[in-house]
Amino acid sequence: MPTVRLRAAAEYPPSSQKLFEASRAWFNYDFAQPPAMSRVMAWDVEFGGPHGRAMKRAMGPGEFTRAEKEMVAAAVSGINSCEY
Amino acid sequence: MTGDALWYEAAQVVGITNALNVAADTLDALGPVDDPTASSAVRELFAEMREFYQGDAVPPGFRFIVHDPAYAAEVWAATRHAFTDHCLARRLKEALAFAVSVTSRSTSGAAFHLSEMRRLGVGARGVMEIVGVTQMFSSYTKIADTLQLEPDMGDIAPEDPSPAPGGVPRGDAPLR
Repeated sequence: MPTVRLRAAAEYPPSSQKLFEASRAWFNYDFAQPPAMSRVMAWDVEFGGPHGRAMKRAMGPGEFTRAEKEMVAAAVSGINSCEY
Repeated sequence: MTGDALWYEAAQVVGITNALNVAADTLDALGPVDDPTASSAVRELFAEMREFYQGDAVPPGFRFIVHDPAYAAEVWAATRHAFTDHCLARRLKEALAFAVSVTSRSTSGAAFHLSEMRRLGVGARGVMEIVGVTQMFSSYTKIADTLQLEPDMGDIAPEDPSPAPGGVPRGDAPLR
């Protein structure tokens, strides 16, 4: 059970809706509600905005493909014992 | 990156890397086995590693676990298999091992796998890409854990219907 109540997308201000649109485009998936992490990051766009841009820069294709980087991210999450 | 075979391979790399880092970073009290004092069996094992890595380096953890050469030989067989090109390229496997080592604060593992990434052609940009992914997901995971978020993205990935290697396709197994 999450420590906080995750708000539905409709409870967020217009400035946060841009992050949800970016999240939908990033995952290319039509979520019923934005993923929990997207809603956490949209809580404070002054943190979530730059954090998300850093993530997109790190995850974008370069010497490694995005798919390869997703696998690296999964390995890091596993080592950090993160169920989410 | 669809198909479970890729993920099984990645899991092997993550697991064996962590196992070797655990030994490399904690077993100083055992004392490392150096080449001049090594038995012929251990020298043979080190030679296999040097051939595989095309250099003088031996993965640091092995210098401690070769105190039991038969055990170390089995660990080496698993390591060599895990890092050999199969579904995933060795270059990506070394990147995974580097990310695992950085995440688990293994200085020796990070140095070894960084060296291997470079040997396999990963440039400065590629290294920083893996550093970036490792750092960002070390942030996301701790945010998720602090807020005890529950997984909600499992439906994105398609399920792989293929059987285990050499196995029977799902639905075709004989009824008992």
